[in-house]
Amino acid sequence: MADFPSLARAGHAAHCLRCLSALPSSQTEVDASRLALAFYCIGSLDLLGVLQEKTTPTDRESWREWVWEQQTSGQHGSGFKPSPFMTAPPQAPGEAYTNYDTPHIIMTYTALLSLAILRDDFSRLDRPGLLRFIRSCQRENGSFSTVPGSNETDLRTLYCAFAISCMLDDWSAIDKDRAIAFIASCRSYEGGYGQAPFCEAQGGTTYIAIASLHLVPRTSSPLTPAERQLTMRWLVHNQADSGGFCGRTGKDADACYCFWAGAALQILGAKDLVQSRSLTMFLAKCQFKYGGIAKAPGEHPDPYHTYLSLAALSMYSPNLEPNHPSAASWRFDPLDPLLNAREETSQWARKHVPGHKV
Amino acid sequence: MPTLTSSSTSSLGDVLGLYSQRQEWSDVTPLPQYEEANPAAPIFYSEEYKDATDYFRGIVRTGEKSQRVLELTETIIRLNPAHYSAWQYRYETLLAINAPLDVELKLMDELAVSFLKTYQVWHHRRLLLTITRNPAPELAFIAASLKVDAKNYHTWSYRQWLLAFFNDDDLWAGELDFVDAMLAQDVRNNSAWHHRFFVVFQSGLREGETDRGRVIRRELTYVKQNISLVASNPSAWNYLRGILDANHLPYTRVEEFVKPYAASTQDTSTTDLVDLENPPPPRGAELPCAPAIEFLADIFEKEGGKDGVRKASELWRSLADEYDKIRKKYWEYRIREALQTVQE
Repeated sequence: MADFPSLARAGHAAHCLRCLSALPSSQTEVDASRLALAFYCIGSLDLLGVLQEKTTPTDRESWREWVWEQQTSGQHGSGFKPSPFMTAPPQAPGEAYTNYDTPHIIMTYTALLSLAILRDDFSRLDRPGLLRFIRSCQRENGSFSTVPGSNETDLRTLYCAFAISCMLDDWSAIDKDRAIAFIASCRSYEGGYGQAPFCEAQGGTTYIAIASLHLVPRTSSPLTPAERQLTMRWLVHNQADSGGFCGRTGKDADACYCFWAGAALQILGAKDLVQSRSLTMFLAKCQFKYGGIAKAPGEHPDPYHTYLSLAALSMYSPNLEPNHPSAASWRFDPLDPLLNAREETSQWARKHVPGHKV
Repeated sequence: MPTLTSSSTSSLGDVLGLYSQRQEWSDVTPLPQYEEANPAAPIFYSEEYKDATDYFRGIVRTGEKSQRVLELTETIIRLNPAHYSAWQYRYETLLAINAPLDVELKLMDELAVSFLKTYQVWHHRRLLLTITRNPAPELAFIAASLKVDAKNYHTWSYRQWLLAFFNDDDLWAGELDFVDAMLAQDVRNNSAWHHRFFVVFQSGLREGETDRGRVIRRELTYVKQNISLVASNPSAWNYLRGILDANHLPYTRVEEFVKPYAASTQDTSTTDLVDLENPPPPRGAELPCAPAIEFLADIFEKEGGKDGVRKASELWRSLADEYDKIRKKYWEYRIREALQTVQE
């Protein structure tokens, strides 16, 4: 007991602050998803509860401005683009976006959460435009594309459309029934969900499916008791002897699946079935010496694995004695597993994103 | 025109220099990235990437779709394979200038190996195939690409998409042999087991597969033989459950097979006999194996009544305390749930 390690909170905060200030050219691959990376950094600071203490009002104001600058409108409605990676100097003020610089549905979800973390009042949100954008992303088979008109589609984008509808408290833009039928078509015999119909069960997309089904306002349970049992079984079986979760049967454990599987189990009301102490011990070992959390022990950290590990730790604790020297380092505020945000942040989003309804 | 299919992954810029220094690009006005707010998480772009994307924004503004756009987008893709707009524009350019798609596919063969984990590489390939409509050579390409990474999610998804989309009997014909070969390399490859389930049960009936009873018997024999090679292989046990669940068959159907795997000692007197219905655990296997105990417990639980629940609970208890301790809380939950059914 006494030798249970501490969570290096200050180091993890520093890792995220470093990434927010600049990324080396080796990170060029995030050019088309920079907003998501910024969300993982700002979100980590939020989960750690250090946003006020570690950043200045000027920092927060400047991040807010940058996120708002990614809101863009045009023929497919309004939403947020990943970064200005395709934006040229405008030829006229208020110019509509081109077909190669449209809003992106995953970026839009992370933008709304980032702004909620930064306690924005959302007075600049183009709500009718946002509804139009989500509608333009839904495809014939019920799924959603990443950007309007693209064939790139999988369960992640469907979750984003659901999460945005939930934050807006307005489901009028999407055909829920067709979307739910699409989720069902991604279910595998193992009890998890694949990224698309016929694909292998995978932890990330299983979270996406379960969270989506529970975001929809409805009265009856979205899964039959037998389906729920099978999904729980599959998720629980993905906890490896190392304590971490793997994403697919027989693969190595990876820090991010501690969140995906852990959150799916919490949504299913089965949080108590996780061996919480082993899970936190695994994440403790994924900590990088100089800050940040990696996918596995000995690997290099990144904001994605840092955020998801901290989100997992917001649900699962090592249950140390209160006077244990490392106990305080593992204490977190509760998390809303459906929107994947600190509960207070999620409440802010649910309150302010809808605006004043007419 | 420089060759676009060089085997090196280094970018063309190394050889030809920056676009801003090339005479044949002097008619294009490069457009810098426009960012007014103080940027969050700015990337220190390499000079090469900044140069190429400046010219790309310039090209997009004029709407030019020409052979040289293929070169420009290839440069960008090699520097950032996740640049989805470069992919999108490249695809539209290929169509607009009626470019030979076999050349493009050859380039994709190379990029798929360099950027195996990038979604866009596979997405682009799908788009090309919907036009060429020549899926047959793809199967060999996928098999070769799985040699580099046998569990790559994108690669397997692409194979599943290809089979379902073209749904051609000739394509399906070799799939079981293909799965066999993959499992011969690694019997624990869950992606291969999943693929087998997709081929046999998820994709509808095909010629020669109309006799469901025969197919089920064949698959049961197949999975049992594989379990008898490596007993504690969760992928194979999940496949066994999958066959029974999908066909609404009771787990008791394989009870005799499962029992020796859930026993703590091996019955050495029978291991020399070849029983195709019930192949025994491999010699020297660590027994009992957890998936077999779980399976047997499920049989007892289904049997119900006080006796069934008692026998199941004993097995779950042994998993919780000895054979599968990481899932202790889950097995104790199963005991509680089952006890409730007999107390009511």
